[in-house]
Amino acid sequence: MLSISKKNELQKLLLITIVGTGFTILVSTILGKEVVKQVTDVMYIIATATFVILSSILVLRFKKTGDHGKAALFLLGTSVSWFLAETVWTVYELVYDKNPFPSVADVFYISGYPLMLGFLMYYLKPVRKAITKKMMISAILISASIAIPSIYIAYSPEPDITLFENVLATSYPILDSIIFVPAIIGIALFFRGEVNFTWSLICIGILCFAVGDIGFQYATFTNTYYTGHPVDIILMWSYILFSFGVYDHVRIFRKSGKSNENSQLDNWR
Amino acid sequence: MMTFQKSDVMKALTSIAIQKVLNDISAPAYEKVSKKLQKEYKCYIPDCYDHPEYLESVLKSIFGNAYTAIVDQIKTELAEHADDNGINLLIKTIAR
Repeated sequence: MLSISKKNELQKLLLITIVGTGFTILVSTILGKEVVKQVTDVMYIIATATFVILSSILVLRFKKTGDHGKAALFLLGTSVSWFLAETVWTVYELVYDKNPFPSVADVFYISGYPLMLGFLMYYLKPVRKAITKKMMISAILISASIAIPSIYIAYSPEPDITLFENVLATSYPILDSIIFVPAIIGIALFFRGEVNFTWSLICIGILCFAVGDIGFQYATFTNTYYTGHPVDIILMWSYILFSFGVYDHVRIFRKSGKSNENSQLDNWR
Repeated sequence: MMTFQKSDVMKALTSIAIQKVLNDISAPAYEKVSKKLQKEYKCYIPDCYDHPEYLESVLKSIFGNAYTAIVDQIKTELAEHADDNGINLLIKTIAR
């Protein structure tokens, strides 16, 4: 019962954070593009820093033990990579007043994907025998459908978009669709389990990433993107969903007050 | 000289197998399962030899549909002792 009420509280807090984030960016937009740029950049750094802190707590809790311990290390790598990406983006934009796309930030954004894939794969490794062919095919088909709009958009950019910018902007939704495959499989595998909430948040987070990246690609190709654009709200939600997912996982596997391992052996003796 | 009953030895082997499989996932996964067994059924990992249904229920509640893969691994670990009635019952119960 206590666990259910804590979960409800967590869901309420998540909803408030998501609505609050969207509302803050929308209000900042009314105050002007310069204000929304600064507010969004700072919010991105806070969101990814929170993701890094929570992933670090997860790593400390799992202490590299078993496959999930390795998964936690990959997740920490992902969060650090995306935190660095957001920091570089902000420095380019607010300190040097330069367009951050394309820039070094993209190296960190892209690096986060194989690390995220590593997290998802290592997490699923102990239960891989429960993955059916039907599950795999369905996940691949759903994920492939995400990449279709971005490939379509890639064929019709504005003339001033370089080939490099086109390839880079298109690669994000494609990478999102790749990491979406194990995320969907995880949802099916952990359905009805306590860890399902974590996986749902990660899966929705990746979906938000995909939608946001397609939006970013479209806005870039039509020269309508600015930091604080509505697609940034969706991208920000991804980091928030990932952070809440990690927090939920830490909560599920939190250390008990006393170690019960010895008491178990004593009881048996 | 200390003597052990066969059921005690099998109980110990069952505990070791469950502990190994769960620790291969992660140490917190093992702790979580132990904690939940205590909280919900007031029993410990070795007691799963006599009450395999408790382990089945706890694994399902934590890992959802994926519990079948964990059960498969426990079955593999205990396969060579499947001639023991208790272990045979445990394998059949958790693998339903």
